[in-house]
Amino acid sequence: MEGNDHAIIRAVLAGEKDAYGALVARHSQNVFRVAFRITGDEADADEVVQEAFLRGYQRLESFESRAEFGTWIYRITVNCALNMISKRKVEATYQIGEETDPAQHRVQVADSAASPERSLLSREIEALQKTAMRALTATEKTAFILRHMEGRNTTEIAEALHIAPNAAKQAVFRAVQKLRRSLAPLRVTP
Amino acid sequence: MKHFNEEELIEHYYGESDSAAEIKQHVRECAICGAAYLALSRDLSEIVTIPTPARDANYGEQVWQSIRDSAAPYHAAKKQRFAWFRLHPFGGFATAVACLLIIAAAFFAGRKWESRNPPGPAVANNTSGGDTGRERVVLVVLGDHLDRSERLLVELKHAEPSTEAPMQAEARELLSANRLYRESVKQAGGDPTLTAALDHLERVLIEVSNEPAGLTQARLDELQKEMNTDGLLFEVRVLRSRVQGDVEQKGSATTTTKGVSI
Repeated sequence: MEGNDHAIIRAVLAGEKDAYGALVARHSQNVFRVAFRITGDEADADEVVQEAFLRGYQRLESFESRAEFGTWIYRITVNCALNMISKRKVEATYQIGEETDPAQHRVQVADSAASPERSLLSREIEALQKTAMRALTATEKTAFILRHMEGRNTTEIAEALHIAPNAAKQAVFRAVQKLRRSLAPLRVTP
Repeated sequence: MKHFNEEELIEHYYGESDSAAEIKQHVRECAICGAAYLALSRDLSEIVTIPTPARDANYGEQVWQSIRDSAAPYHAAKKQRFAWFRLHPFGGFATAVACLLIIAAAFFAGRKWESRNPPGPAVANNTSGGDTGRERVVLVVLGDHLDRSERLLVELKHAEPSTEAPMQAEARELLSANRLYRESVKQAGGDPTLTAALDHLERVLIEVSNEPAGLTQARLDELQKEMNTDGLLFEVRVLRSRVQGDVEQKGSATTTTKGVSI
């Protein structure tokens, strides 16, 4: 797959602009997934995907043949998504007041076997989790998402965020600590 | 007995601990660390992964079509110009010899030229550097304008009726600057994409700044729909990134010129 990516990149650099479409088609789902997880918004994620692939195209000459295109575009996406969430301070303020908005609970996957109390609790946990995630800094949030949801290791997180591995590790720690503190009120003691 | 702190336990949870076996053994034997690790595992397992909305099979194609026009084709000739040197067995040696010959010829030609034409005043040599510098300043200012506009559009996209006052003030400020830039770009026969985007931006800025009774939610929705602010926002982002690229290029060009003149 990656060997094929390299052949496509060579074709694009040789002037076959439309060959890049094949790369976009191949990697767009992964790119969208990480963009959505970081931005938390479908429309924003779509914009991030467009920006990431366009940036990728514009910088294709700097792509090193030893690297994997998937990893390379993933890093660009993380950066674009980070830029997006950093510029949305107004939106963040707007959303904090919307915690009880039922529309925000639409993504909840209902467990039919769970008791009503259990369902209520998981809804509360999810709402609290969203609020807690918004309280994290952009770097902490992204580092945590890459670690916890995307399963990336410290080195990969550091490379994607352009920070030192130790700083990436600290960002994950801080995120976990803050999230645990925020979720503590809902903890059920047996 | 050495207890493990929260950071070490988090590292262990994600399988990145250097002393995984030691921690595993310890949490089994130590009641305090065992309870702490159990609580940590429970808390982290409760943090659910956000379900990603599905994108259909044509999504990649749609993305490509949306950016296709902004992607300038690479020139094959530029890439293949040095292909012979790379492919030919004596390519490297031939290149080195050719370079040496060119340098030597340039050196002797320079000596001859200097002896026949004495150098002019030093000020005259700085003209091109000055132009590059001025152009760079213009690009930086334009980049800043696009950045501010982008922020306003993001704000507009997520605006509430209560945010109208600061947004209108900012829109008015941006409007006068935008007119100036649009006119300048048009007169200089510059990039038509940039002119079109600035034109589109101006219409949105006029709407936002001239709404007499402030922006109601209905008017905001209407404005966002009418003006296709999403499309414009993307256009502005692309232009800003292009202008930033140009600024970086001009910056490096200035540095190179300085290096040569010294």
